[in-house]
Amino acid sequence: MSHVIDVESLSVEFNINNQFFKAVRDVSFYIDSGETLGLVGESGCGKSVTSLAILQLLTKSARIHGQVQYGGNDLLLLGSDQMRKIRGNEISMIFQEPMTSLNPVYTIGAQIAEALLLHKNISRKEANRLAVELLHKVGIPRPNEILKDYPHQLSGGMRQRVMISIAMSCNPKLLIADEPTTALDVTIQAQILELMRQISDDFNTSILMITHDLGVVAETCDRVAVMYAGRIVEQGKVDDIFFHPQHPYTKGLLNAIPKIDAETKRRLEPISGNVPSLTRMPAGCAFAPRCPMVMDKCRTDLPDLIPIDDGHYSRCWLNNLKEDSQ
Amino acid sequence: MSDVLLDIKDLRKYFPIQRGFLRRNGGAVRAVDGVSLSVCTGETIGIVGESGCGKSTTGRSILRLVEPTSGSVMFQGKDILKLSKSQMRVMRREMQVVFQDPYASLNPHYTVMQTLLEPLEVHRLHTPKERQERVYSILERVGLDPSYASRYPHEFSGGQRQRIGIARALILNPKLMILDEPVAALDVSIQSQVINLLEDIQKDFSLTNLFIAHDLSVVKHISDRILVMYLGKMAEFATSEELFVDPLHPYTRALLSAVPIPNPSVKRERIILSGDLPSPVNPPSGCVFHTRCPIVQDICKQDVPEWRALKPNHYVACHLA
Repeated sequence: MSHVIDVESLSVEFNINNQFFKAVRDVSFYIDSGETLGLVGESGCGKSVTSLAILQLLTKSARIHGQVQYGGNDLLLLGSDQMRKIRGNEISMIFQEPMTSLNPVYTIGAQIAEALLLHKNISRKEANRLAVELLHKVGIPRPNEILKDYPHQLSGGMRQRVMISIAMSCNPKLLIADEPTTALDVTIQAQILELMRQISDDFNTSILMITHDLGVVAETCDRVAVMYAGRIVEQGKVDDIFFHPQHPYTKGLLNAIPKIDAETKRRLEPISGNVPSLTRMPAGCAFAPRCPMVMDKCRTDLPDLIPIDDGHYSRCWLNNLKEDSQ
Repeated sequence: MSDVLLDIKDLRKYFPIQRGFLRRNGGAVRAVDGVSLSVCTGETIGIVGESGCGKSTTGRSILRLVEPTSGSVMFQGKDILKLSKSQMRVMRREMQVVFQDPYASLNPHYTVMQTLLEPLEVHRLHTPKERQERVYSILERVGLDPSYASRYPHEFSGGQRQRIGIARALILNPKLMILDEPVAALDVSIQSQVINLLEDIQKDFSLTNLFIAHDLSVVKHISDRILVMYLGKMAEFATSEELFVDPLHPYTRALLSAVPIPNPSVKRERIILSGDLPSPVNPPSGCVFHTRCPIVQDICKQDVPEWRALKPNHYVACHLA
């Protein structure tokens, strides 16, 4: 299998009061064709910034380092014209809030046709015909009528379906989904996740699934990268992450959530403390102040991503110790 | 345990819709349409449902933050819907609320101290000096350093702000707490801190909780009994264990099957409901769920299903259950 996208040591810095702070630090991952990679973490961990950096959607003042290899090019070096040909065409994106990402003053039809007319050499009539087909494909009833509706006339789930149809209009190789179901009710979430799974199967589209919901990850992803304070702290196949988590943060997250399939009630084990702010990042391992297993070394030195198993990495000194003792 | 603290009977809240220049009556949004519920002292009742099902409006109607259209709410043996404004204000000492969004529910111009003193001042409790001490002790109780009292809400993280919200509700020593999505806006690692805090204070202050949320895993964890609502109506009511082991209403079944489970080896038969929630202005005839129900029959389209107990302590509104 070939890698569709290869992100190598991506870093993003933002200017806050004339000082640069790193929101994303040395992030590397790849996605194979047809594969879904989950990027998991809590708010402020840099997961959304990572995805925006890939598509050059960040503000000009952000400093970006590293490489994003896609189709033989480094996306970070492309000019805005070249980038526009890729965005929405080969790599497309859906966001959390479908109301704010659709234009309220254009009809649904016009917004789907816009993407098609921009990237494909087709007539407006043909674009409209394709739009109906796309709406049908994402399971919208009466597509001919919905085409003439405005976003406010649709429900949240319908709007997200429209967003997906726009994102899929040019058969992208990679779909970046940033919390695609967070704003939706569970029964609607189930519909949308099912739809995304179908699309990924039918078109062999790779998906970068950005979410904080471990349930969504377990159900949709092949591999997972867990982010904390701008870095990937653990990466591996979905079974590795859920059944053999190595990093104390991953373990903490899994213990912190109430489980609906739990037979007996147990007390939740929260992670103490708060996520560190960008401007006050601790030295060494960023998780050290909250870690139950913290050692002196953790407060001063940053651990590397240490290989545990085939494709399974963890950024923790504890894993290093295990390796030494073996 | 069997001592009933709050007894709600046939609670309804219709929001009238006024159309056009002449404000003609254009029907009503039936946000809550006949909710009856007995809450015993010391228990936690969870109310779940999707957005627009009326769970929040139910909570607010009980406190009369929105004025219910009809029904009765007996609290400690008094019908609070019949109380005057000033009597109601006194009554609210006993029933407090925590909202979802700790950013929006705290006054940004008030320090934590001012925010927490206000309820005590309104209800004229304690001397000024005692009030301050009470604030410090309550801050400590919810896991905040008392030295934070002079800070403003923007200086806190989401989880800490929610602790302030809980402290504000607790400071009057209420009997009933209405928790409206108290952890929905929080990060996963912080959510569990707040859930544990809520469980602890419930024990310490012998509180009775009404826990309103859309997240079924959280509701299951924290509730003794759970009410499932759909489109303003009660769909099912059972103990927490019972509801998850033997859901009787097809909507409850679909809802439970839709929750993603954080365990990749669990492969479930998922019931995908087609379509969206119908409009509460014009709810479907018969059973309100019939437009999306996977096992719908003719009778469901005509007759409103009766609210009946199929087992002891397990109620459902479905013809086919």
